[in-house]
Amino acid sequence: MTRLLLPGMEGRVLGERGGLRVVELYIGAQHPASGHMRLIVYLDGDMIVRVDPDIGYVHRTVEKLAETREYVRVISLVERMTIIDACNVTLPYVEAVERLLGVEAPPRARYLRTILCEINRVSSHLYGLGLGGIFLNHSTMYMWAFGDREVFVHLASLLTGSRLTHTYPVFGGVRRDLPQSFRDEFEKAKRYMLRRLREYDKVFFNNPVIRGRLEGVGVLPREKAVALGATGPNLRASGVRYDARMTGYAAYRDLGFEPVVGREGDALERVWVRLREIEASLELVERALRELPDGPFIDERYTRAVPPAVRHWLEKGRLKLPGGYVRLKTRPGEALGRGEMGRGEITYYLVSDGGMKPYRLRVVTPSARNVVLFDALARGHTLMDLPAVYGSIDYFPPEADR
Amino acid sequence: MDPIAWLSGSLGVPYWAVRAVAAPLVYPGLAAFMVVALFIIWAERKIAARVQMRVGPLYVSRRLGGALQVLADGVRIAFQEIIIPVGVEKWSFVLSPILAFTVVSLAFTMVPGGPGIYGFRSSLSLLATYAIVTLTPILVIVMGWASNNKFSYIGAGREALVSITGEATLLASLLAAAMMYGSMDFVEIVEAQMRSHVPGLVANPVAALLFFIAALLVTDRLPFDLVLGEQEIVQGPYTEYTGLLFALSMALGYAKLYVLMLVFTHVFLAGWAPFTSPLLGSIAVFAKTLLLMLVAVFLRSVYGRMRLDQVASMFWSKLFPLALVAFVVSALIHPIYAP
Amino acid sequence: MAGSAGGDRHRSRPGLVRAHLEAIATAARRLLEPPMTMPIPDYGDARVPGYRGVVLFDYDKCIGCSLCAQICPARAIKMYRVPGDKRLRPGYNVGRCIFCGLCTDICPTDALSESIVHDRVYDDVPSMDMDPVDWAVWSRRVLEEERKPGRPLLRARVDPERGLVYERVDAEGGPVAEEKGEER
Ligand code: SF4
Ligand code: SF4
Repeated sequence: MTRLLLPGMEGRVLGERGGLRVVELYIGAQHPASGHMRLIVYLDGDMIVRVDPDIGYVHRTVEKLAETREYVRVISLVERMTIIDACNVTLPYVEAVERLLGVEAPPRARYLRTILCEINRVSSHLYGLGLGGIFLNHSTMYMWAFGDREVFVHLASLLTGSRLTHTYPVFGGVRRDLPQSFRDEFEKAKRYMLRRLREYDKVFFNNPVIRGRLEGVGVLPREKAVALGATGPNLRASGVRYDARMTGYAAYRDLGFEPVVGREGDALERVWVRLREIEASLELVERALRELPDGPFIDERYTRAVPPAVRHWLEKGRLKLPGGYVRLKTRPGEALGRGEMGRGEITYYLVSDGGMKPYRLRVVTPSARNVVLFDALARGHTLMDLPAVYGSIDYFPPEADR
Repeated sequence: MDPIAWLSGSLGVPYWAVRAVAAPLVYPGLAAFMVVALFIIWAERKIAARVQMRVGPLYVSRRLGGALQVLADGVRIAFQEIIIPVGVEKWSFVLSPILAFTVVSLAFTMVPGGPGIYGFRSSLSLLATYAIVTLTPILVIVMGWASNNKFSYIGAGREALVSITGEATLLASLLAAAMMYGSMDFVEIVEAQMRSHVPGLVANPVAALLFFIAALLVTDRLPFDLVLGEQEIVQGPYTEYTGLLFALSMALGYAKLYVLMLVFTHVFLAGWAPFTSPLLGSIAVFAKTLLLMLVAVFLRSVYGRMRLDQVASMFWSKLFPLALVAFVVSALIHPIYAP
Repeated sequence: MAGSAGGDRHRSRPGLVRAHLEAIATAARRLLEPPMTMPIPDYGDARVPGYRGVVLFDYDKCIGCSLCAQICPARAIKMYRVPGDKRLRPGYNVGRCIFCGLCTDICPTDALSESIVHDRVYDDVPSMDMDPVDWAVWSRRVLEEERKPGRPLLRARVDPERGLVYERVDAEGGPVAEEKGEER
């Protein structure tokens, strides 16, 4: 049989791959809903038979660069992996270095770190929700989530002086004490956000159109979630009670942290877990503010060496560092830093040879672990479900690419 | 005072000829559509902005709240280069959007804009309007094919599915209404409603609702903007278009929406009632149509996009059977419209 | 507590028609409420107290210890030899600066401080790279601009109803009575 060849056929021609007649669709890297990555989608009719995430478009060699910088300068480097979740991404690194330095942050600093981490988590979840909304072309959810995230960005900038890249936790403590207006502003923000979550429920979560798009889509069964190494809300939505905060770093042990766990493991459940985690985070910050211990916000060891001329800043709640801080030497050895970011667990493996710079810093970010979900979840669904899957796993390419 | 009579008198052309030219070109035709499009796109953006706690268009004509923004965008698009990619089939690529828009504009000869304001009156004008509006999907499919792009191709496939799905319900609801009035002529339909003082919306709400929902589907409005599908297929059949051709293909959806909402006004909202003079009647029709379009564009800020299979199953298994209910309602209620 | 395990998303599920109506009503209610965005560029952002913007340099207070250049993660600060000065002095490339503020934290005198500006316009790329003298002169200019802002300033405040609201403040951060409602 001769093949029918219409003029200009090459753009639509079906490919042959693995015995299947498929359309290869290149979604990204220039596509409104691909992010900094490319998804190579194989379609049989309207059915996805395979998704190859093509990552690495925003690889910035963070691990290698870290070997060339002093410990303190690495903080703002690793922050760049996920600037929208800055405290959560740096804290495990800071704690790992602290372990090698043999310092421990005073209780007040641990609480302040927790407060900023949870505020970051709220804004990170709102960011994910907003993108999840626009992936389904729900522009209102997109704008609402981004607008309300601004409230938490504002809170974070009150605390740290910076909207996104806070560089807040440093070895031995944090960089600023709690400003006076913070409690009041947070109280209002919490009331506002809880009200808004009800509205999100009505416009987005319970909206029949959105429900139809998310319910039963991309189901990740519990066993598979564990086997694939999914992490964060994606794992908890499948019914696994696991959260790195349960290890009790920062102030989580004192605060009696309890993770939010879902059951069904579909896209809707993942969104639901994020919405409930926003509530839980607000609750945690409130508790942390209530129980905030008095005392210094940075270890005495470092404040002692601060020149007297600038000591007044410490009384005003601003950090002043001693000159030796740049050239901190850790003891040789290795340390592991773990923490729960908005998107899941981040792990730092730090090797030190006793110098001023890390000998090796290995980072595994949550998005790097979640990228397997694209193929696992989208298979068997239609092309239209791909954005729903993408939005629900809240994948963030710069974080995965490092 | 009748401007058409004055024109025909001073030009010495028969009344019907002036009307046949004026209706499609001025009102309710292209000139009116331009105004509607400029207003409704602005309103769409502004409404979405306010719902989303933003400001929306503002800096082009601050005093008017940014109302001229669309005009500014239009001017920019008009002067944009029309890029014809290498692999496309040139003639069908260029001609199909132009042809599609022309076809939709033909509907303006049929749909009245007010009492006595129409191009032609025919006893089948309702059906003819429907036929004209539903011709465009074919040209959209041609656009998708000619673009030589996988996204466009998928979009064209969706257009085929969507048009078949939506038009069945659209036609069923229209026929139910026509059965109720015992006529397929817009003028008679409106007069029947004026005579009995019961608008079709009240008499047969099922048909009205179905018509509205199906109209959203065939005009690619949310929650049914499957063909555009920005997040999946990047404007579908229109991906490769730039400049004026892109503007035309975007105007296509709005033109269809305008025509269908005009039809809705006549069939379910009693057209120019309660007025009978051409001027006031036209204003009434225009206002009702705009209001309907505002509702349609407001839905953009409430919904996301429905999935293809869900749309198909909703229309075929829920709405189309409902259309049969609409027929029953029509059968029961039609005596009130009996002349 | 809110984060209880195993909650049920189905429990609160409203009926189909009700869910549609609730979604429409919620959106329509927001339609009538004012925006929460800041009216930039008509107003400037007064920033929160302690905001970390571009770094300002006071030449006279500097002791030339070069700690700032050592800690700067972005290598925005380099030490320069200034004619007629025995010590090295820091120069600043504002294009590289990531506004982390670590240099001000480690400066043993008050030679470095943070401004509230980070969004300035520069004529060209070389003018962003300043030697110590340029930096000191430029810092004085930025400070002046900060004291005399070119447009009225607004400061964001959290509001339990509207998310963020904005109040007029003067350059020192004190409140200013609103003359008239802002035009939107
Ligand atoms: S603020 Fe940070 S990046 Fe900028 S000059 Fe200071 S240390 Fe360097
Ligand atoms: S740290 Fe301060 S005193 Fe030392 S060189 Fe820098 S500006 Fe001068």
